[in-house]
Amino acid sequence: MRYLVTLQVNRTSYPVELEVGRTLLSVLRGELGLTGSKEGCDDSECGACMVLIDGRPVNSCSYLALQAAGRQITTVEGLASGTKLHPLQQAFLEHGAVQCGFCTPGMLISATALLAANPDPTEDEIRAGLSGNLCRCTGYVGIVAAVRSAAAELANAD
Amino acid sequence: MGGRFTSPTALADALAATAAGHRPVAGGTDLVVGTRQGKWSLPEDLVALDRIEELRGIEETSGGLRIGATTSHADLAGHPAIRKRWTAIADAASIVGSPATRHIGTLGGNLANASPAAETSGPLLCFDAQVEVRSTAGSRRIALADLFNGPGRTTVRSDELIVAVELSELAGVGSSYVRLEFRRQMEIAVVGATAVVSLDGAIVIDARIAITALAPTVRRVAVAEFALVGTDGGPDAAAEAGRLAAEAATPISDVRASLEYRRAMAAVVVRRAVTGAIARARGETIPIPASASLFGAR
Amino acid sequence: MTATLAPTLIRQDGRDKVTGSGRYAADLTVTGMLHGAFRVAEVPHARIRRLDTTAARALPGVYAIITAADVPEVRYGAFLKDRTIFARDVVRWEGELIAAVAAATPEIAAQAAALIEVDLEPLLAVTDLETATRPDAPLVHAEWATYEADENLVRDGNLASRSTIVKGDADGGMADAYIVVKDRYVADGSHAVPIEPRAILAEWQGDHVTIWSSTQVPFAARSGVAETLGMPQNQVRVIVPHLGGGFGAKCELGFEPQVAALAQTAGRPVKVVFSRREEFLLPDHRRERMILELETGVRRDGTIVARRAHLIIDNGAYSMDEPFLGQMAAMFAVGPYRIPNVDVSADVVYTNTQPSGSVRAPTGPTTCWALEQHHDVVAERLGLDPVEFRRRNLVHEGDTGPTGQVFERIGALETLEHAAAAIGWGRPLPDGEAIGIATGWWPSFPGASGANVTINADGSGTIVTGAQECGTGAVMALPILAAEVLGMRPDEFRILYQDTDAGPYDGGASGSQTTFNNGRAVIAAATEVREQLLDLAADLLEANRADLELIDGMARVKGSQTSSVSIADLASQAAGAGLLLGRGSGEPPPTPAVETANCVGRLGAESFAAPTFFTHAAHVKVDRDTGVVRVLEIAASHESGVVINPIGATGQIYGGVAMGIGQALSEGVLLSEDGRQRNPYLLDYKLQTVADVPPIHVDFVDAPSPTGGPKGLKGIAEPPCVPTPGAIANAIVRAAGSRVRELPMTPERVWRALASTNGEN
Repeated sequence: MRYLVTLQVNRTSYPVELEVGRTLLSVLRGELGLTGSKEGCDDSECGACMVLIDGRPVNSCSYLALQAAGRQITTVEGLASGTKLHPLQQAFLEHGAVQCGFCTPGMLISATALLAANPDPTEDEIRAGLSGNLCRCTGYVGIVAAVRSAAAELANAD
Repeated sequence: MGGRFTSPTALADALAATAAGHRPVAGGTDLVVGTRQGKWSLPEDLVALDRIEELRGIEETSGGLRIGATTSHADLAGHPAIRKRWTAIADAASIVGSPATRHIGTLGGNLANASPAAETSGPLLCFDAQVEVRSTAGSRRIALADLFNGPGRTTVRSDELIVAVELSELAGVGSSYVRLEFRRQMEIAVVGATAVVSLDGAIVIDARIAITALAPTVRRVAVAEFALVGTDGGPDAAAEAGRLAAEAATPISDVRASLEYRRAMAAVVVRRAVTGAIARARGETIPIPASASLFGAR
Repeated sequence: MTATLAPTLIRQDGRDKVTGSGRYAADLTVTGMLHGAFRVAEVPHARIRRLDTTAARALPGVYAIITAADVPEVRYGAFLKDRTIFARDVVRWEGELIAAVAAATPEIAAQAAALIEVDLEPLLAVTDLETATRPDAPLVHAEWATYEADENLVRDGNLASRSTIVKGDADGGMADAYIVVKDRYVADGSHAVPIEPRAILAEWQGDHVTIWSSTQVPFAARSGVAETLGMPQNQVRVIVPHLGGGFGAKCELGFEPQVAALAQTAGRPVKVVFSRREEFLLPDHRRERMILELETGVRRDGTIVARRAHLIIDNGAYSMDEPFLGQMAAMFAVGPYRIPNVDVSADVVYTNTQPSGSVRAPTGPTTCWALEQHHDVVAERLGLDPVEFRRRNLVHEGDTGPTGQVFERIGALETLEHAAAAIGWGRPLPDGEAIGIATGWWPSFPGASGANVTINADGSGTIVTGAQECGTGAVMALPILAAEVLGMRPDEFRILYQDTDAGPYDGGASGSQTTFNNGRAVIAAATEVREQLLDLAADLLEANRADLELIDGMARVKGSQTSSVSIADLASQAAGAGLLLGRGSGEPPPTPAVETANCVGRLGAESFAAPTFFTHAAHVKVDRDTGVVRVLEIAASHESGVVINPIGATGQIYGGVAMGIGQALSEGVLLSEDGRQRNPYLLDYKLQTVADVPPIHVDFVDAPSPTGGPKGLKGIAEPPCVPTPGAIANAIVRAAGSRVRELPMTPERVWRALASTNGEN
């Protein structure tokens, strides 16, 4: 059985025809061509596939696409406003938070969710909030610094 | 290839689908991962529960709590009443998987999976949780102790849905859940323990102790509970409870730990859980989650 | 501090990566593309009795299946040509490829791969390292003697390679020693675990193939495809899209020949994307298992007089770079210490397990972990403080190394002092906490490398290089060097890289060599352009060429504020005539002269070019009831010649330390009795999370090397994971009273060590 549903991704509507077993990640990367979300494992251990669904972080590799229908999905491609980077993206560049970049999309998404729920996190809260995202390059030092810096930036902007 | 999918907003529709053989899916975390890893095939037909408002949320009832089946672990961990009065549940819910898993994974889904390593099962067992299951034919209550049949097996019939978990107030208790953690985050219970105690003055008058990932199901250990009652719950009494619980455990050897290590760790986590519960019963602060707070406690 | 050319460099590839627009190999699709899947042995050792693809071919949507019968019979390998791209007759480890399928979807490909009927006759498997060395052990390669091999290899049956380091008279030294300490360490294998599982896409047009691959070494992949498929190198183009980490696992020849052959047979492009499980099980690059027996004789004053060591190193079923790595391990078993008498042997041994191969600083962390624990045992026996013991024995300028190389200006001792000071060595700590320390060394790898630099008509710069950017930022930092030569800003350059048809040869993201060698090439190419600019400017300004300088985007008469012309103007002029084109490679610096008359198995690691030195200090807390170790703080001091890109260099140290903590505590291949991996997934192969990595204090000691790379720099990517496990191990024993001689030092192992030791060390 195939179902015609509409996925709302980064404020754009995508009509797609899906079978039950399809994961959200496979649809994002396949039919929708949004390859920013990565596949690093298949059991919610690495976080490279992280997206926001109605503002909450979700491992899209372990989430049925049909369950996302009608919900607001945000991927890394939806963080910037046009050519203007989100403060988190800019901070990642400036603090050495990006090396190979494969964990970066998921890490940015988890950081976005974290700051939305907790605009002024302590270092421990940052580390807990990002703990579902593995990075093999940076030792996480630049990432934690970038999130701290972006939090300050966002607070000043308000 | 088939595969029907329905995502109702009304519980009645979900019950009808379940009666028609649809398998329920809440967050989907275990279901999808298991399918991708070839542990099982995706069921022919699914009914999604995530849009049914009445299944989600925590309601304070007279003298207790009613927790909807699709309440997330994050919601459990953050709920003020749970943190204050059913603290062990908050200890457990706040260390399930990753932040994303805690947002998506649900209490009901976790119970339905009946994993012997499920974090919240031990605390729920010690708090005498009642599970409400419903079908088109009506509803019934199952004591949590009667829910688990073995690893991955429950007494919930295939036409029934878990709709809520009910807790009644236990006055004046302290509780904690402690898990052995190799890393600071992203762990699974290799060994875990729950303790719920009531004090009269300095003396333990009631004790419930459960062990996690140490038997085919999460289970209570009566012999350790008996031993603790009547003591001051101090280091010696906590250690004795741990020793007895370890003796009663039936651990396995696997990729995560040997039987011998698991058994030895059973004594440690039970001792720490008792220590944490006693301290909380006395009004002392052991920050949630207790596993991290009690790291290294001798 | 350190020579700094760029306080903060924003990576050219950074914007691609933070916006999700950057493409990695798995993200690519080309017209007509099919999906590939491999069928692998799933058993450690067996003879292939029958291989039948009929049922698999009958599956709708299957377009091609290939096996060994469909490809040239070519044996390949870096030092020992012992393998083929698909199994022929015998499979020798669980991940060995038997067949490849191309189909309309990944699901159909996987289904078809499973439908291939493989009749395997089990053969006795050798998985235990010591068993493999016995004379009566079953042979992993019955026909080993017929293989083509490097003439310096010493081998015999399951012994794939033996390397020795012999200096002075070890027996005599031991006899003269005040005390002799001997002990033994055992390390499990471990994995590189880049977060990107590899992907390869091959497309043929006519007689040439383009392969998009997540490889760290595009030129080695190209030559490997050419060798195994029997075609000239110029008909193979390897392009690396963005690479999601490698850490050595994506070095050497990967799976490019198989996918290329599959695409050729299918007559359609084919893409293979590994699952995480495949990324664990199939690559021939796992960090080697090792058994290390170490023996040291010391004088009463604590100076080392002799070292004996015997290492048994798991080669796995096939040899890629492991024989070379065995020789490196022998060098590490001596360490950066003054030792007059040395007798070290390293045996690289075949087993029916996954092949070993380079994983970040191969053999380094494991050997350092054992040696630095051994050194603490020696210090303890002497009643000497561990820092003082190292102070008395570390090498200085003018000392000789294990094979007699004479050290230039080096900073080994400074790294020890700095790390000890940064961590607060000797300060009182709470019960259950302690600090440990470990020192090590690592070579640089001079080699051929090329680059082209052009200035475009508008004055912007382009660097075209064959170098590979695996994430470290080494390629991203190349503009710093070109900009300095040309008086421009780094952000005025763009880099085209990791495409074998675009840029000249480079050795790839391997051996921490990119800045060392390709940096030299870029400087040489930029210097050619500089000469061209100066010629133009001298004409235009009617000035003496020798009086000109390039600065701030201008060519000007030195000291003059008025007599100048912008590089953009010069470029605009050149665009109409003699273009501004520079090419460079430069001469690799020489490797130090050595004395190796008594050493065997010399494969090139006997001389450590421009070695780097480093010390880590680890502050840990041990939960003595559970054996769980938490690392609270790391101080890392590195002498890496000089540092030219601080954000990149510190990033390497942070990442290396995190990896080192993982290898120390949680990362190990668990083997079943029949040699299969029991934990090929991330829940039970545990990387360190962001919550586990503690504060890391980084310090650089300056010691520019006359035989180093640009400005005297040395390789920096690999070393930071080397001393971390040893520092943690030494901290554990000081915190908890027991020494853990198995790696990783898992909670259960620490707990067992605590339970079984009574007062020993």
